[in-house]
Amino acid sequence: MSSDTDEMGGDTEEEVMTAAEVLEKLEEAWLNEKFSPDLLETKTDLVECMLEQITAMEENIQRAKKGDFKISIHRMEIDRIRYVLSSYLRIRLKKIEDFTAYILHQESQRKEEDSPLLSPEEYKFAKEYQTSVEGHFNSLALRHMPANSQTLDHKLTVIQPNLDNYIFLRVNEDTQGILIEEETLDTGEEIVDLEKGDQHIMRYRPLAPHVASSAVSLI
Amino acid sequence: MDPAEVEFLAEKELVTIVPNFAQDKIFLIGGDIGPLNPGLPVQIPLWMAVNLKQRHKCRVVPPDWMDVEKLEDKKQEETDSKFFTPMPSKYYMEVTQILLKCATADIPRADDVRTLIKDIWDLRIAKLRSSIDTFIKSDATHAKLNHLTLMEINTVRSFLTLSLDQMHILRTNLTGGIKPTQD
Repeated sequence: MSSDTDEMGGDTEEEVMTAAEVLEKLEEAWLNEKFSPDLLETKTDLVECMLEQITAMEENIQRAKKGDFKISIHRMEIDRIRYVLSSYLRIRLKKIEDFTAYILHQESQRKEEDSPLLSPEEYKFAKEYQTSVEGHFNSLALRHMPANSQTLDHKLTVIQPNLDNYIFLRVNEDTQGILIEEETLDTGEEIVDLEKGDQHIMRYRPLAPHVASSAVSLI
Repeated sequence: MDPAEVEFLAEKELVTIVPNFAQDKIFLIGGDIGPLNPGLPVQIPLWMAVNLKQRHKCRVVPPDWMDVEKLEDKKQEETDSKFFTPMPSKYYMEVTQILLKCATADIPRADDVRTLIKDIWDLRIAKLRSSIDTFIKSDATHAKLNHLTLMEINTVRSFLTLSLDQMHILRTNLTGGIKPTQD
């Protein structure tokens, strides 16, 4: 039972990645998504690639003769990958449910050339969820309110993720000059240099663009 | 993060085993597992090694660092140093626990290894606790924690991040302002 899945034509614009590299990137995306308070860019290409790999592998297993030792090993690996994938998607869905209005607003303000925040399915889900929740509020409570309070003002009710959450991170590339503004009046601003391989704990807000560019990863 | 999830990540570490059966190359999605020949050591991920061991299909070779003298030196190094010393493996705690549970017979002086690793763990956690104490008292806003393993970070993760979040909220409220967050 051989598998010709070692070379994958991924739909990333850069080089072709092997399945192992895609898996590693998916795990990194999973951890980043788990620890960041904000919804990160969607990695639909990684997710789709892994799904294809798993489906192909399952077909292979079906075709192989029963009781072959390799089947159980492949099945274990598939279970592991499936766990990472489900956890990743579940975390994203939870963030979409928590911050629906904010995320949809961000997505509508995004410029054409930036990468999307939501996959097409997630976007559909977010819109439907928003409609359902608003409809629910309407039918449950708003209908019965006095006439001038019957609408929800989005600007007042939007729930934003707390970008000042503290997170643990590991530095992948040397990054100079992260500006950490200090909150009180007596401590000034601080500039921090990050060296490769270091681990730190600090607020998410100054590091958000570096997580997106993979200069640091959250642990 | 669940400790089980940290263990999940640790299970990707490679360990050496000596199989007692033959198998040609396995092409996993995450990489190839080289052909298995009885009696020849080969490196495989920990999750696979545990499964093979449970089916009595292999013998586990303990990693180099899982040796009583080396661990005693490491423990001494950790006691002497004020900071955290680099650990032989990013997942030393999990790998030791897993291997000691499923392959006790293959590890020489398993009880001593278990005690030493526990001592090193206790030393590091005590250091971590006192350094967190200093960190919070000094009102600093960020810290470097090199050489800390994921399991150790995970024991303090929720407490530390939530407390620092609260401290940040208290600090910023000195200058006024309301945040539109749910937390």
